Amino acid sequence: MTQSPIIQIRNLSKSYGSKLVLKNLSLDIYPGQVIGYIGPNGAGKSTTVKILTGLIPEFSGEVLVDGISMQDNPQEIKKRIGYVPENAELYEVLTPMEYLDFIGKLYGLEDNLLQTRAQKLLMAFGLGNNINDRMDTFSKGMRQKVLLISGIIHNPQIIILDEPLSGLDANAVIMVKELITRLSQEGKTIFYCSHVMDVVEKVSDRILLINKGDIIADGTFESLKQDHSDTLERVFAHLTGRTESASETDAIINAFD
Amino acid sequence: MNTLMLRMVSALMPFLERTGVDTYQLYQILRIKLMMDDRRPSVMFAGRRKANATGKTSNPWLVSIGTIVMGVLTGFVLIVFKGPLIAQTVYFSMFMVLMSMTLIADFTSVLLDVRDQYILLPRPVDDRTLAISRILHISVYVFRLALLQGLGGLVIIGFMDGLPAVPLFLLQLILITFLSILLVNVVYLIMMHTVSPEKFKDIISYFQIVFSVVIFGCYYLLPRVIDFTSLVQIDLTQKVWAYFLPPVWIASLNEVLIHPSRATLLTSLLAILGITIPLAGLWLVAKVLAPGFNKRLATAATSDGNTSAPSVPAAIGNTQNKPSLVNQLANWLAPDPVENAGFRITWKLAARIREFKIKVYPALAYVPIYFLYFGLNGKGSIDERFDKIQSGSSYIFLVYLSTFVLSSILQHISYSEKFKPAWVYYALPVTQPGKILSGMYKAVVTLYYLPYCFIIGLVGVVIWGPKVINDIILASVIGMIYGLLMALFMVKGLPFSKPVLLKQSGGRVVTSLLITGLIGAVGFGHYLLSRWETVIWILIIPAIAVYWVMLYYYKRQGWDSIELEEF
Repeated sequence: MTQSPIIQIRNLSKSYGSKLVLKNLSLDIYPGQVIGYIGPNGAGKSTTVKILTGLIPEFSGEVLVDGISMQDNPQEIKKRIGYVPENAELYEVLTPMEYLDFIGKLYGLEDNLLQTRAQKLLMAFGLGNNINDRMDTFSKGMRQKVLLISGIIHNPQIIILDEPLSGLDANAVIMVKELITRLSQEGKTIFYCSHVMDVVEKVSDRILLINKGDIIADGTFESLKQDHSDTLERVFAHLTGRTESASETDAIINAFD
Repeated sequence: MNTLMLRMVSALMPFLERTGVDTYQLYQILRIKLMMDDRRPSVMFAGRRKANATGKTSNPWLVSIGTIVMGVLTGFVLIVFKGPLIAQTVYFSMFMVLMSMTLIADFTSVLLDVRDQYILLPRPVDDRTLAISRILHISVYVFRLALLQGLGGLVIIGFMDGLPAVPLFLLQLILITFLSILLVNVVYLIMMHTVSPEKFKDIISYFQIVFSVVIFGCYYLLPRVIDFTSLVQIDLTQKVWAYFLPPVWIASLNEVLIHPSRATLLTSLLAILGITIPLAGLWLVAKVLAPGFNKRLATAATSDGNTSAPSVPAAIGNTQNKPSLVNQLANWLAPDPVENAGFRITWKLAARIREFKIKVYPALAYVPIYFLYFGLNGKGSIDERFDKIQSGSSYIFLVYLSTFVLSSILQHISYSEKFKPAWVYYALPVTQPGKILSGMYKAVVTLYYLPYCFIIGLVGVVIWGPKVINDIILASVIGMIYGLLMALFMVKGLPFSKPVLLKQSGGRVVTSLLITGLIGAVGFGHYLLSRWETVIWILIIPAIAVYWVMLYYYKRQGWDSIELEEF
């Protein structure tokens, strides 16, 4: 690749008290890449995401997005990033239109543009009939759609998705997967965090596996496969140290005796 | 109202812009926050004003009118009290208490809203804008509240002390508001330093319980205990302890400026305190307390349990082996597995669900308050009236009154805002829901009613002597029968399995009155028989027998007697 990286992470470390959550992470991510970011619970995945989105301002090391340093100018970086958090936090007493209007204005979008874009996006996600309903009546899938829209409404260069498919029905899942591919063709960088291995396997063109604060695998699915085994699930199990899978299920079955 | 407030804030914008705040973002955040406040139901009055059908919307105007009415009612004390200082002191004390309670009860959820961390922080909003938006949001809320609440007093003072008193009164309102903010801030800060946000919410709900009990108690008992005619004439300037009460300082302002003839050097000094302390307090809040507060809030919100994770597995091993008292009780009282499950789930949920506690715990205090209210009815000095209670046999009345605890628990036991987890009752092969219900009833009785009767019994023995023991046992058992009747006819849902709704079928009220009337009659019979101690002792046996038989049939209820909820 001849392009310069859009995200550069150098020696990133973060600790909570005495517990080191991230150990000297270094990474280069290029425009148009779809990164599948996986790892067991407590590996440091969400901490990385929170640092990248500016939710955790205190860390050691360097994070550069589009050449801008996170420590110096987090606001400029936040403008370039769209974030869809894992826990579907929304202001439920608002309608999706009011919510998107609010979020869009925080990004400094101009009113007319924002109105039409929000409307179009809501229609496209199949929420056309619910534009003026309060979100406390929404199902989990509908809220997730609003959340997705609020992450892309300002047309960001980088989109960080944390379990974006939770609660979505099968058709919406297909749509979002296609959307990810289309967005990456447009040159957007996508950072996809998930525990669902088969989806990560399909959508990402580069997979990062983090364990205990270290990146222990980095490459395309093909290259990871050759080293270890045939599915991402197996690769994951192998690399995170889960070896004899039979003994666990044995214990479960034996519990009934 | 909000547009007016926003316009007032907009006037400040050019000034804020110079300090580096993004005023456009600030305006948007404030607009959306105020909009959400209007759509959020008021927590403060939720206990009394029953939730409406959706449980989520409330008319902002209705809440405002409620506040204004409350303010007018407090305003009347300005007319009632005659002595120097006392009227305004009482008024401002009430104002301060109401203000602080509303702030704590209603605004905690807003302040501890962790969603902001996920919704606002990832957007390009800088810290200064966020901090200012939070401060302005609180200010707008507080001053709207102060204005609505003070409106009544403002009009009344205009009539009493003439027009010049009105602007002064406005200033006094602002000053007392500052003091309330200081008070609330200190409370918050102490709480945030010592406990976690979840625990904090628990403590706040206890605050609300105590508050409603105090209001209720004052309303019923104060007129009985205190001689109002002398209180109305009291001269506060003669009482040294009064010099340390902030409302007195504020009230002194009116004394000095509107009634200069009555003013003394002392009141002038107090008036100076009344101006300086609130301003100093505001400075303290802005400079010292607020920054630390925001930082603590941020850490509380982002730490999402990362730090506590490792300690969990170690604890599990220990708790499993040692059966607790509750579990032993459960196994002994409800040996059937299904009944046992009903017993334990009711026991644990009732002790842990906040909204249930807020609704039910005040009832525990209402009983003695009612008792004293009726008992102290009559003539003579307070001591004489107390003597009268002691010489009579009104303790029987006290125990029967305790059934109020049972009925108010049963009224709420099947409702919960989080009723969804109750799907397990319907999904699992439970053939006899009566078993769950009887487990529930036993848990309610063991957890709340019997300990309550026990305490009343102890109090009774202390006041009236050991001869009351048999009466109290008999009355408690009859109370349990009453509760079972109530449960049979009134409780149509499994524990915590139904959404909170206003409408309950109308015919129930009649049934409830009939049952209560029946028990009242039984209680009266008990009262007539109470002279013959042995008869009471003997009567306990058939009462227990009746209870057992009823419980047996209660347990046999099938699904047809339970109202199903749709999930």
